[in-house]
Amino acid sequence: MLERISNPSEVRRWPGGMPVAHRYTPGIGGEAFFTALRDRGALLGSRCASCAYTYVPARLFCERCFAELNADTEVGPAGELVSFTIAFVDVDERRLQEPVTYGLVRLDAADAVLLHRVVEVGDEPLEIGARVEVVLEDERSGSILDIRGFRVVPDADEE
Amino acid sequence: MTRFVRRAQETGKELAWEASRAALDSCELKLDDVDAVCLTSAPDAFDGVHMKGEYLSDGAGAFGKPFIRTYVGGGSGVFTAIHGWYTVASGMFDVALLVAEEKMSSTQPHPQGAFLTIFDNILERPLGPNLLWIFALEMNRYMTVHGLDKRDIASVAVKNKRNAADHPAALLGQPDITVDDVLNSETLAWPVQRLDVSPISDGAVAVVIASEDAARRITDKPVWIDGVGWNLDTTYWTNRDLYFPEYVQNAARMAYDMAGIREPRKEIHVAEPYDPFDYKELHHLEGLMLFDKGKAPEAARDGVLNRDGDLPSCPSGGLLGVGNPIAAAGLMKIAEVFWQLRGEAGARQVPGTPERAVAQAWGDLMQVGTVVVMGADRSSAARAGGAEASEASGHGNEMSEAGPAGRGGESLAVIETPPYATAGHSLSDADFRSAVGAVDFRLDPEYSWDAGVAISRFLDGLKAARMLGRECRMCGRVLVPPRMFCERDFRPTDAWVEVPDTGVVETFSIAHVSWDMRDLETPDIPAVIRIDRTSEGGLLHKLAGVDPERVSIGMRVRAVWKRDADRAGSILDISHFEPSEGA
Repeated sequence: MLERISNPSEVRRWPGGMPVAHRYTPGIGGEAFFTALRDRGALLGSRCASCAYTYVPARLFCERCFAELNADTEVGPAGELVSFTIAFVDVDERRLQEPVTYGLVRLDAADAVLLHRVVEVGDEPLEIGARVEVVLEDERSGSILDIRGFRVVPDADEE
Repeated sequence: MTRFVRRAQETGKELAWEASRAALDSCELKLDDVDAVCLTSAPDAFDGVHMKGEYLSDGAGAFGKPFIRTYVGGGSGVFTAIHGWYTVASGMFDVALLVAEEKMSSTQPHPQGAFLTIFDNILERPLGPNLLWIFALEMNRYMTVHGLDKRDIASVAVKNKRNAADHPAALLGQPDITVDDVLNSETLAWPVQRLDVSPISDGAVAVVIASEDAARRITDKPVWIDGVGWNLDTTYWTNRDLYFPEYVQNAARMAYDMAGIREPRKEIHVAEPYDPFDYKELHHLEGLMLFDKGKAPEAARDGVLNRDGDLPSCPSGGLLGVGNPIAAAGLMKIAEVFWQLRGEAGARQVPGTPERAVAQAWGDLMQVGTVVVMGADRSSAARAGGAEASEASGHGNEMSEAGPAGRGGESLAVIETPPYATAGHSLSDADFRSAVGAVDFRLDPEYSWDAGVAISRFLDGLKAARMLGRECRMCGRVLVPPRMFCERDFRPTDAWVEVPDTGVVETFSIAHVSWDMRDLETPDIPAVIRIDRTSEGGLLHKLAGVDPERVSIGMRVRAVWKRDADRAGSILDISHFEPSEGA
């Protein structure tokens, strides 16, 4: 039999961490996407013609057929809300002062969906399938946060 | 394979795709022809991506396919060929894509931070180790046991960096480098100097492996995997004699047996041993039983290992020359062996018609050996003329003898890689700093490690200025660090034993850099201390109170304890070890 420690406090513990930080560069596909977003406020995807699939953000290759792709397809700026969630707690499960809504959006001309915030959420409940459009920041640095979020497209012509 | 670069513009996924796509193109396969994907990549902490295998899977061609990532530290790249071998040999898949990727440049300030947890968090990390310590301690032990000359070891770095000058993917090819350049380079942790060490790199390599039938359809010039072997030594690295890698020998025996190789030195024509450090190549050549213990360095000195020598070793340029994106570096060796056996290595081609080659890597917690023996196609070997032919036919017979036993049906496999390097765009420091869309992130994980039953008691002992070990009465060993079970007999250990706080310096280093590679004002003298009255028992600690010049292997030392009030139940309760004349 192993010798047992009957009092768990006798088991010593040792605190520590892992001193690593990272700098993530967006790569060839990502650079094209972020440059267009910063400079033109455009959302670039990559179209694979043979797979009839458009990726967003732009990427270097098609994971389905391995073809090389270019950042050749401008998508959005509007699209469809595919799903959403409303977050009431932060990553440490602390209560947020204001809940934040996150949505998956399939931008027009795209097949892949993009994760981002849903902003300017009013009293009307959000619905999956809603038309949404991108809201850009005025000052853009080349970051996913150059997009402030998506907002529901106002029902201008009241179908 | 991609070029190996210090810092790639591509993401890890993009690197993996570039290599994978090139491999498929080289044998005119499409992604649809691939039945399964075997991927490897070293710790998630390098790329800073959790579940890195899954992250890389699209670039590795795994979309909608059976896929798994294996990882055995530095041994990973060669292991992934073993993984591919049994994936195909199982009969479940005809064609598998092997992919190895590493992007080390993402880690800031230095990948050393990710290496720290290789050390025991409770008994070793408080000492402030740098990964280089392990190598320096092993190298010193190896040199001292055999009375080796550092010049001979440095000649390996020279050979590999010169060989790499002919490799289109190489990061550090240097046709004009000399032994003196190596010996004059900055000392990091004596005896390890800057040019003894391979560079941190980004890169990816991919290889196609197929069953015999599929291979015959894909190519008329297959290269066969004749034998595979892998083996682990104890995780208690301070309990081993570091002068010889037994785990490599065990892995080599397994691979040679499978390949029907009885006299490796005669039957292996090209070797790609793992060379993250120059001495490591020699260490591993001995583990591979290609040289007697302690005899590889003179072979290096005498040119035996040169490309035109009797046993070309690392004709690729190895990790020292091509670069060391960890997992990718091992698969680069498999690729080099493939090219050499096909006669497609260009300026790197070794003379003659090599028929058998071995690739090997090492890693995990300094204790895994991975070995793959590969052979040229028998039909092409039979075509060779003259003296080569008679050797070839003898060789062929042996292979057919070994073949059926080793392969059990279709398990022999072919591999294809592109005979060229692709992409791998280098990113300058300035571009790295200013890259559009780049994101900085500090993970900052905090842990609380349980010391467990044995080490808690050991730490209590240290607090009382006593050194405690555990005894296994079956194998008769007294174990320091203590453990509650004997890993050899796989039974509980039997009793606590107080051992003296004295011992012998098994090996040591004089370290001039901190864990994150900053210069130290006063050098550290890390050492493995063999504790008296233990069997193989050893601890990593530091020496002090002694002129570094006077430290020697075999020197008797004793623990210098902190004062009673300052001892807290920590490995640092021993302030350091100091010489103890005749204690």
